Amino acid sequence: MAGKNIRFDVGHRVTLDELEAQLRPAFLAGLAGDAAAYRYFLDHVSARLRAYLRQQLARAGRPDPGEAEDVLQETLLALHLSQHTYDPDGPVTAWAHAIARHKAVDHLRRTGRHAGGVPIDDVTHFLAAPEPVSSDARLDLAKAMANTPERTRRLIEQVKMQGYSVAEAARAAGMTETAAKVAIHRGLRMLARALTKAPPR
Amino acid sequence: MRTQDLISLMVAGQRPVDTGWLGRATLAAAGASLAAAFALVVATLGPRPDLLSGGVAQASAMKAAFGGAVAVVALWAFLRSLRPGARAAHHLVWLAVPLVAVGLFAAFDLAQAPAGAWSGIVFGRNWLACLIAVPLYALAPLALLIAVAREGAPLRPRLTGIAAGVAAAGLATVAYSIHCPEDAAPFLATWYPLAMAAMGALGALLVPRFVRW
Repeated sequence: MAGKNIRFDVGHRVTLDELEAQLRPAFLAGLAGDAAAYRYFLDHVSARLRAYLRQQLARAGRPDPGEAEDVLQETLLALHLSQHTYDPDGPVTAWAHAIARHKAVDHLRRTGRHAGGVPIDDVTHFLAAPEPVSSDARLDLAKAMANTPERTRRLIEQVKMQGYSVAEAARAAGMTETAAKVAIHRGLRMLARALTKAPPR
Repeated sequence: MRTQDLISLMVAGQRPVDTGWLGRATLAAAGASLAAAFALVVATLGPRPDLLSGGVAQASAMKAAFGGAVAVVALWAFLRSLRPGARAAHHLVWLAVPLVAVGLFAAFDLAQAPAGAWSGIVFGRNWLACLIAVPLYALAPLALLIAVAREGAPLRPRLTGIAAGVAAAGLATVAYSIHCPEDAAPFLATWYPLAMAAMGALGALLVPRFVRW
Protein backbone atom coordinates (compact mmCIF):
# COMPACT_ATOMS: atom_id res chain seq x y z
CA MET A 1 0.00 0.00 0.00
CA ALA A 2 1.54 3.25 -1.06
CA GLY A 3 2.37 5.48 1.85
CA LYS A 4 1.72 2.86 4.52
CA ASN A 5 5.03 3.26 6.26
CA ILE A 6 5.67 6.87 5.35
CA ARG A 7 4.74 9.64 7.68
CA PHE A 8 4.51 13.00 6.00
CA ASP A 9 4.31 16.12 8.05
CA VAL A 10 2.20 17.97 5.50
CA GLY A 11 1.20 20.76 7.87
CA HIS A 12 4.67 22.20 8.25
CA ARG A 13 6.21 24.33 5.54
CA VAL A 14 9.82 23.33 5.05
CA THR A 15 12.67 25.48 3.90
CA LEU A 16 15.06 24.28 1.24
CA ASP A 17 17.70 23.73 3.93
CA GLU A 18 15.33 21.55 5.95
CA LEU A 19 14.42 19.51 2.90
CA GLU A 20 18.10 19.14 2.06
CA ALA A 21 18.86 18.12 5.65
CA GLN A 22 16.15 15.48 5.40
CA LEU A 23 17.11 14.01 2.05
CA ARG A 24 20.87 14.33 1.84
CA PRO A 25 21.99 11.87 4.57
CA ALA A 26 19.52 9.29 3.29
CA PHE A 27 20.75 9.68 -0.26
CA LEU A 28 24.43 9.53 0.71
CA ALA A 29 23.78 6.35 2.70
CA GLY A 30 21.89 4.99 -0.29
CA LEU A 31 24.86 5.75 -2.53
CA ALA A 32 26.97 3.65 -0.18
CA GLY A 33 24.53 0.74 -0.62
CA ASP A 34 22.16 1.15 2.34
CA ALA A 35 18.85 -0.14 0.94
CA ALA A 36 16.63 1.15 3.75
CA ALA A 37 18.11 4.64 3.48
CA TYR A 38 17.68 4.58 -0.28
CA ARG A 39 14.03 3.58 0.07
CA TYR A 40 13.51 6.45 2.53
CA PHE A 41 15.08 8.84 0.05
CA LEU A 42 13.02 7.57 -2.89
CA ASP A 43 9.75 7.61 -0.96
CA HIS A 44 10.22 11.17 0.19
CA VAL A 45 11.73 12.64 -2.97
CA SER A 46 9.00 11.05 -5.07
CA ALA A 47 6.30 12.70 -2.96
CA ARG A 48 7.97 16.06 -3.48
CA LEU A 49 8.56 15.44 -7.18
CA ARG A 50 4.97 14.29 -7.71
CA ALA A 51 3.65 17.59 -6.34
CA TYR A 52 6.25 19.55 -8.29
CA LEU A 53 5.56 17.79 -11.59
CA ARG A 54 1.78 18.07 -11.23
CA GLN A 55 2.24 21.78 -10.68
CA GLN A 56 4.63 22.24 -13.60
CA LEU A 57 2.55 20.21 -16.05
CA ALA A 58 -0.62 21.99 -14.98
CA ARG A 59 1.03 25.32 -15.61
CA ALA A 60 1.96 24.09 -19.09
CA GLY A 61 -1.67 23.26 -19.78
CA ARG A 62 -1.54 19.53 -18.87
CA PRO A 63 -3.49 19.01 -15.67
CA ASP A 64 -3.83 15.20 -15.92
CA PRO A 65 -2.29 13.60 -12.79
CA GLY A 66 -1.81 10.35 -14.72
CA GLU A 67 0.49 12.19 -17.08
CA ALA A 68 2.39 13.65 -14.14
CA GLU A 69 2.77 10.14 -12.75
CA ASP A 70 4.33 9.03 -16.06
CA VAL A 71 6.86 11.84 -15.90
CA LEU A 72 7.49 11.03 -12.22
CA GLN A 73 8.30 7.42 -13.04
CA GLU A 74 10.58 8.55 -15.85
CA THR A 75 12.27 10.99 -13.47
CA LEU A 76 12.73 8.42 -10.71
CA LEU A 77 14.30 6.04 -13.19
CA ALA A 78 16.63 8.79 -14.37
CA LEU A 79 17.58 9.65 -10.79
CA HIS A 80 18.27 5.99 -10.09
CA LEU A 81 20.31 5.31 -13.21
CA SER A 82 22.24 8.63 -12.96
CA GLN A 83 23.18 8.41 -9.30
CA HIS A 84 26.87 8.47 -10.25
CA THR A 85 26.43 11.96 -11.74
CA TYR A 86 25.67 13.43 -8.33
CA ASP A 87 28.47 15.55 -6.88
CA PRO A 88 28.68 14.75 -3.14
CA ASP A 89 29.78 18.33 -2.46
CA GLY A 90 26.57 19.78 -3.85
CA PRO A 91 22.93 19.80 -2.73
CA VAL A 92 20.79 16.75 -3.47
CA THR A 93 17.71 18.93 -3.94
CA ALA A 94 19.37 20.88 -6.78
CA TRP A 95 20.47 17.64 -8.45
CA ALA A 96 17.05 16.01 -8.23
CA HIS A 97 15.22 19.17 -9.26
CA ALA A 98 17.46 19.65 -12.30
CA ILE A 99 16.74 16.11 -13.49
CA ALA A 100 13.00 16.42 -12.85
CA ARG A 101 12.83 19.68 -14.74
CA HIS A 102 14.78 18.19 -17.64
CA LYS A 103 12.40 15.23 -17.86
CA ALA A 104 9.35 17.49 -17.67
CA VAL A 105 10.66 19.67 -20.50
CA ASP A 106 11.56 16.60 -22.54
CA HIS A 107 8.10 15.16 -22.02
CA LEU A 108 6.35 18.37 -23.03
CA ARG A 109 8.52 18.67 -26.11
CA ARG A 110 7.98 15.03 -27.11
CA THR A 111 4.24 15.01 -26.61
CA GLY A 112 3.39 17.98 -28.75
CA ARG A 113 2.72 21.64 -28.47
CA HIS A 114 3.19 23.23 -25.10
CA ALA A 115 1.25 26.44 -24.79
CA GLY A 116 3.54 29.42 -24.46
CA GLY A 117 6.73 27.51 -23.72
CA VAL A 118 7.96 25.84 -20.57
CA PRO A 119 7.36 27.55 -17.25
CA ILE A 120 10.46 29.03 -15.66
CA ASP A 121 11.17 27.67 -12.22
CA ASP A 122 13.92 27.24 -9.72
CA VAL A 123 14.57 24.70 -7.05
CA THR A 124 12.33 26.46 -4.50
CA HIS A 125 9.34 25.18 -6.47
CA PHE A 126 10.22 21.91 -4.84
CA LEU A 127 8.82 23.25 -1.62
CA ALA A 128 5.15 22.77 -2.35
CA ALA A 129 3.52 20.34 0.06
CA PRO A 130 4.54 16.78 -0.80
CA GLU A 131 2.04 14.54 -2.51
CA PRO A 132 2.50 10.99 -1.24
CA VAL A 133 -0.57 9.53 -2.93
CA SER A 134 0.11 8.30 -6.44
CA SER A 135 -2.15 8.37 -9.45
CA ASP A 136 -2.33 5.60 -11.99
CA ALA A 137 0.38 6.03 -14.52
CA ARG A 138 -0.80 5.89 -18.08
CA LEU A 139 2.23 4.13 -19.51
CA ASP A 140 2.42 0.42 -18.83
CA LEU A 141 6.01 -0.04 -17.75
CA ALA A 142 5.48 -3.75 -17.19
CA LYS A 143 4.76 -4.12 -20.89
CA ALA A 144 7.92 -2.20 -21.66
CA MET A 145 9.86 -4.93 -19.89
CA ALA A 146 8.38 -7.66 -22.08
CA ASN A 147 11.67 -8.07 -23.91
CA THR A 148 13.70 -8.94 -20.86
CA PRO A 149 14.75 -12.59 -20.48
CA GLU A 150 12.31 -14.90 -18.66
CA ARG A 151 14.59 -15.36 -15.66
CA THR A 152 14.92 -11.62 -15.15
CA ARG A 153 11.20 -11.08 -15.51
CA ARG A 154 10.41 -13.70 -12.89
CA LEU A 155 13.00 -12.21 -10.55
CA ILE A 156 11.47 -8.79 -10.99
CA GLU A 157 7.94 -10.09 -10.44
CA GLN A 158 8.98 -11.69 -7.18
CA VAL A 159 10.68 -8.58 -5.91
CA LYS A 160 8.01 -6.22 -7.09
CA MET A 161 4.75 -8.07 -6.52
CA GLN A 162 5.44 -10.68 -3.92
CA GLY A 163 7.60 -8.53 -1.70
CA TYR A 164 10.55 -10.92 -1.75
CA SER A 165 13.78 -9.39 -0.61
CA VAL A 166 16.37 -9.40 -3.32
CA ALA A 167 18.34 -12.06 -1.40
CA GLU A 168 15.29 -14.38 -1.33
CA ALA A 169 14.42 -13.75 -4.97
CA ALA A 170 18.02 -14.39 -5.97
CA ARG A 171 18.01 -17.70 -4.09
CA ALA A 172 14.74 -18.70 -5.71
CA ALA A 173 16.19 -17.97 -9.14
CA GLY A 174 19.40 -19.81 -8.38
CA MET A 175 21.48 -16.64 -8.72
CA THR A 176 23.86 -14.86 -6.42
CA GLU A 177 22.52 -11.65 -4.94
CA THR A 178 24.98 -9.63 -7.01
CA ALA A 179 23.88 -11.34 -10.21
CA ALA A 180 20.26 -10.60 -9.31
CA LYS A 181 21.06 -6.94 -8.77
CA VAL A 182 22.85 -6.76 -12.11
CA ALA A 183 19.82 -8.36 -13.79
CA ILE A 184 17.48 -5.86 -12.16
CA HIS A 185 19.77 -3.01 -13.20
CA ARG A 186 19.71 -4.19 -16.81
CA GLY A 187 15.93 -4.47 -16.68
CA LEU A 188 15.65 -0.91 -15.38
CA ARG A 189 17.98 0.38 -18.11
CA MET A 190 15.80 -1.33 -20.70
CA LEU A 191 12.78 0.33 -19.13
CA ALA A 192 14.41 3.75 -19.32
CA ARG A 193 15.27 3.22 -22.99
CA ALA A 194 11.72 2.13 -23.73
CA LEU A 195 10.38 5.27 -22.04
CA THR A 196 12.42 7.62 -24.21
CA LYS A 197 11.04 5.89 -27.26
CA ALA A 198 7.44 5.56 -26.03
CA PRO A 199 4.87 7.22 -28.27
CA PRO A 200 2.81 9.96 -26.64
CA ARG A 201 -0.49 8.89 -25.09
CA MET B 1 3.41 -0.45 -12.93
CA ARG B 2 2.70 1.37 -9.71
CA THR B 3 5.27 3.91 -8.68
CA GLN B 4 5.65 2.12 -5.35
CA ASP B 5 6.57 -1.08 -7.21
CA LEU B 6 9.08 0.76 -9.36
CA ILE B 7 10.67 2.11 -6.19
CA SER B 8 10.83 -1.41 -4.72
CA LEU B 9 12.66 -2.55 -7.82
CA MET B 10 15.14 0.28 -7.70
CA VAL B 11 15.84 -0.35 -4.03
CA ALA B 12 16.31 -4.05 -4.69
CA GLY B 13 18.79 -3.36 -7.46
CA GLN B 14 20.77 -0.80 -5.49
CA ARG B 15 24.52 -1.34 -5.26
CA PRO B 16 27.22 1.06 -4.01
CA VAL B 17 27.68 4.00 -6.42
CA ASP B 18 31.01 5.53 -7.42
CA THR B 19 30.49 9.28 -7.85
CA GLY B 20 34.15 9.81 -8.71
CA TRP B 21 33.97 7.64 -11.79
CA LEU B 22 33.03 10.44 -14.23
CA GLY B 23 36.03 12.54 -13.21
CA ARG B 24 38.42 9.63 -13.57
CA ALA B 25 36.92 8.66 -16.92
CA THR B 26 37.33 12.22 -18.22
CA LEU B 27 40.95 12.29 -17.10
CA ALA B 28 41.59 8.90 -18.66
CA ALA B 29 39.99 9.96 -21.95
CA ALA B 30 42.08 13.14 -22.03
CA GLY B 31 45.30 11.29 -21.21
CA ALA B 32 44.67 8.52 -23.69
CA SER B 33 43.77 10.91 -26.50
CA LEU B 34 46.83 13.07 -25.79
CA ALA B 35 49.10 10.04 -25.97
CA ALA B 36 47.39 8.82 -29.13
CA ALA B 37 47.58 12.27 -30.75
CA PHE B 38 51.33 12.51 -30.00
CA ALA B 39 51.87 9.07 -31.48
CA LEU B 40 49.84 10.03 -34.55
CA VAL B 41 51.75 13.29 -35.10
CA VAL B 42 55.08 11.46 -34.80
CA ALA B 43 53.94 8.70 -37.14
CA THR B 44 52.39 10.93 -39.81
CA LEU B 45 54.24 14.25 -39.81
CA GLY B 46 57.15 13.66 -37.49
CA PRO B 47 58.55 16.23 -35.08
CA ARG B 48 60.15 19.23 -36.74
CA PRO B 49 63.90 18.69 -37.05
CA ASP B 50 64.88 21.90 -35.24
CA LEU B 51 62.55 21.19 -32.32
CA LEU B 52 65.23 21.26 -29.66
CA SER B 53 67.03 24.39 -30.79
CA GLY B 54 66.60 27.31 -28.40
CA GLY B 55 64.04 29.63 -29.90
CA VAL B 56 62.01 26.84 -31.45
CA ALA B 57 61.81 24.84 -28.24
CA GLN B 58 60.50 27.92 -26.49
CA ALA B 59 57.89 28.61 -29.16
CA SER B 60 56.73 24.99 -29.14
CA ALA B 61 56.48 25.06 -25.36
CA MET B 62 54.28 28.14 -25.60
CA LYS B 63 52.01 26.49 -28.15
CA ALA B 64 51.74 23.44 -25.91
CA ALA B 65 51.03 25.63 -22.89
CA PHE B 66 48.32 27.47 -24.81
CA GLY B 67 46.71 24.23 -25.96
CA GLY B 68 47.07 22.74 -22.51
CA ALA B 69 45.45 25.71 -20.78
CA VAL B 70 42.52 25.64 -23.19
CA ALA B 71 42.15 21.89 -22.72
CA VAL B 72 42.18 22.11 -18.92
CA VAL B 73 39.51 24.83 -18.80
CA ALA B 74 37.31 23.09 -21.37
CA LEU B 75 37.68 19.67 -19.72
CA TRP B 76 36.61 21.11 -16.38
CA ALA B 77 33.54 22.72 -17.93
CA PHE B 78 32.85 19.44 -19.77
CA LEU B 79 32.93 17.40 -16.56
CA ARG B 80 30.71 19.83 -14.66
CA SER B 81 28.24 19.82 -17.54
CA LEU B 82 27.68 16.08 -17.04
CA ARG B 83 26.39 16.57 -13.48
CA PRO B 84 22.81 17.89 -13.15
CA GLY B 85 22.55 20.81 -10.77
CA ALA B 86 26.18 21.85 -11.30
CA ARG B 87 26.62 25.08 -13.21
CA ALA B 88 29.06 24.63 -16.05
CA ALA B 89 28.76 27.38 -18.64
CA HIS B 90 30.46 30.03 -16.57
CA HIS B 91 33.64 27.94 -16.37
CA LEU B 92 34.17 28.48 -20.11
CA VAL B 93 34.71 32.18 -19.40
CA TRP B 94 38.18 31.24 -18.18
CA LEU B 95 39.09 30.44 -21.78
CA ALA B 96 39.58 34.19 -22.04
CA VAL B 97 42.82 33.87 -20.07
CA PRO B 98 44.90 31.87 -22.58
CA LEU B 99 43.14 33.54 -25.52
CA VAL B 100 43.83 37.06 -24.29
CA ALA B 101 47.42 36.13 -23.38
CA VAL B 102 48.13 34.87 -26.88
CA GLY B 103 46.26 37.87 -28.30
CA LEU B 104 48.48 40.26 -26.34
CA PHE B 105 51.65 38.53 -27.57
CA ALA B 106 50.29 38.76 -31.10
CA ALA B 107 49.46 42.45 -30.80
CA PHE B 108 52.93 43.12 -29.39
CA ASP B 109 54.59 41.28 -32.28
CA LEU B 110 52.51 43.05 -34.90
CA ALA B 111 53.28 46.42 -33.33
CA GLN B 112 56.99 45.72 -33.87
CA ALA B 113 56.54 45.09 -37.61
CA PRO B 114 55.54 47.47 -40.43
CA ALA B 115 51.84 47.27 -41.29
CA GLY B 116 52.64 45.97 -44.77
CA ALA B 117 54.23 42.88 -43.25
CA TRP B 118 51.24 42.01 -41.08
CA SER B 119 49.33 39.83 -43.51
CA GLY B 120 52.50 37.85 -44.22
CA ILE B 121 53.02 37.26 -40.49
CA VAL B 122 49.42 36.29 -39.82
CA PHE B 123 49.09 33.92 -42.77
CA GLY B 124 52.59 32.49 -42.56
CA ARG B 125 53.61 29.99 -45.16
CA ASN B 126 51.15 27.29 -44.27
CA TRP B 127 48.00 28.51 -42.56
CA LEU B 128 45.69 26.01 -44.25
CA ALA B 129 47.80 23.04 -43.16
CA CYS B 130 47.63 24.10 -39.50
CA LEU B 131 43.94 24.93 -39.72
CA ILE B 132 43.22 21.44 -41.07
CA ALA B 133 45.72 19.51 -38.97
CA VAL B 134 44.47 20.52 -35.52
CA PRO B 135 40.84 19.50 -36.12
CA LEU B 136 41.99 16.25 -37.73
CA TYR B 137 44.08 15.30 -34.71
CA ALA B 138 41.20 16.43 -32.48
CA LEU B 139 38.68 13.98 -33.93
CA ALA B 140 39.72 10.95 -31.89
CA PRO B 141 39.88 12.96 -28.63
CA LEU B 142 36.39 14.28 -29.35
CA ALA B 143 35.10 10.76 -29.93
CA LEU B 144 36.55 9.60 -26.61
CA LEU B 145 35.00 12.54 -24.76
CA ILE B 146 31.62 11.85 -26.37
CA ALA B 147 31.91 8.28 -25.10
CA VAL B 148 32.39 9.65 -21.58
CA ALA B 149 29.50 12.12 -22.04
CA ARG B 150 27.17 9.21 -22.79
CA GLU B 151 27.74 8.01 -19.23
CA GLY B 152 26.85 11.36 -17.75
CA ALA B 153 23.60 13.30 -17.54
CA PRO B 154 24.14 16.49 -19.53
CA LEU B 155 21.24 18.91 -19.23
CA ARG B 156 22.56 21.10 -22.05
CA PRO B 157 24.04 18.74 -24.63
CA ARG B 158 25.15 21.59 -26.91
CA LEU B 159 27.17 23.14 -24.12
CA THR B 160 28.72 19.76 -23.34
CA GLY B 161 29.53 19.42 -27.03
CA ILE B 162 31.20 22.83 -27.22
CA ALA B 163 33.32 22.03 -24.17
CA ALA B 164 34.25 18.61 -25.57
CA GLY B 165 35.17 20.02 -28.99
CA VAL B 166 37.29 22.83 -27.59
CA ALA B 167 39.00 20.44 -25.17
CA ALA B 168 39.75 18.04 -28.03
CA ALA B 169 41.23 20.90 -30.07
CA GLY B 170 43.32 21.96 -27.07
CA LEU B 171 44.71 18.45 -26.70
CA ALA B 172 45.41 18.25 -30.43
CA THR B 173 47.23 21.59 -30.21
CA VAL B 174 49.52 20.19 -27.53
CA ALA B 175 50.37 17.17 -29.67
CA TYR B 176 50.77 19.23 -32.83
CA SER B 177 53.15 21.66 -31.11
CA ILE B 178 56.04 19.29 -31.78
CA HIS B 179 55.55 19.67 -35.51
CA CYS B 180 53.92 23.02 -36.32
CA PRO B 181 56.45 24.97 -38.40
CA GLU B 182 55.05 28.42 -37.64
CA ASP B 183 56.18 30.24 -34.52
CA ALA B 184 54.83 33.76 -34.90
CA ALA B 185 52.34 34.71 -32.18
CA PRO B 186 49.98 36.46 -34.64
CA PHE B 187 49.78 33.20 -36.59
CA LEU B 188 48.99 31.20 -33.45
CA ALA B 189 46.47 33.73 -32.18
CA THR B 190 44.55 33.51 -35.46
CA TRP B 191 44.45 29.90 -36.63
CA TYR B 192 44.44 27.86 -33.43
CA PRO B 193 41.42 29.64 -31.92
CA LEU B 194 39.66 29.22 -35.28
CA ALA B 195 40.36 25.49 -35.21
CA MET B 196 39.12 25.35 -31.60
CA ALA B 197 35.94 27.20 -32.52
CA ALA B 198 35.35 24.80 -35.42
CA MET B 199 35.76 21.79 -33.14
CA GLY B 200 33.45 23.42 -30.59
CA ALA B 201 30.79 23.75 -33.29
CA LEU B 202 31.29 20.14 -34.32
CA GLY B 203 30.94 19.00 -30.73
CA ALA B 204 27.76 21.05 -30.36
CA LEU B 205 26.35 19.20 -33.37
CA LEU B 206 27.40 15.71 -32.36
CA VAL B 207 26.73 15.49 -28.62
CA PRO B 208 22.95 16.11 -28.83
CA ARG B 209 22.81 13.39 -31.48
CA PHE B 210 24.83 10.78 -29.61
CA VAL B 211 23.99 11.48 -25.99
CA ARG B 212 20.48 10.68 -24.83
CA TRP B 213 19.39 9.75 -21.33
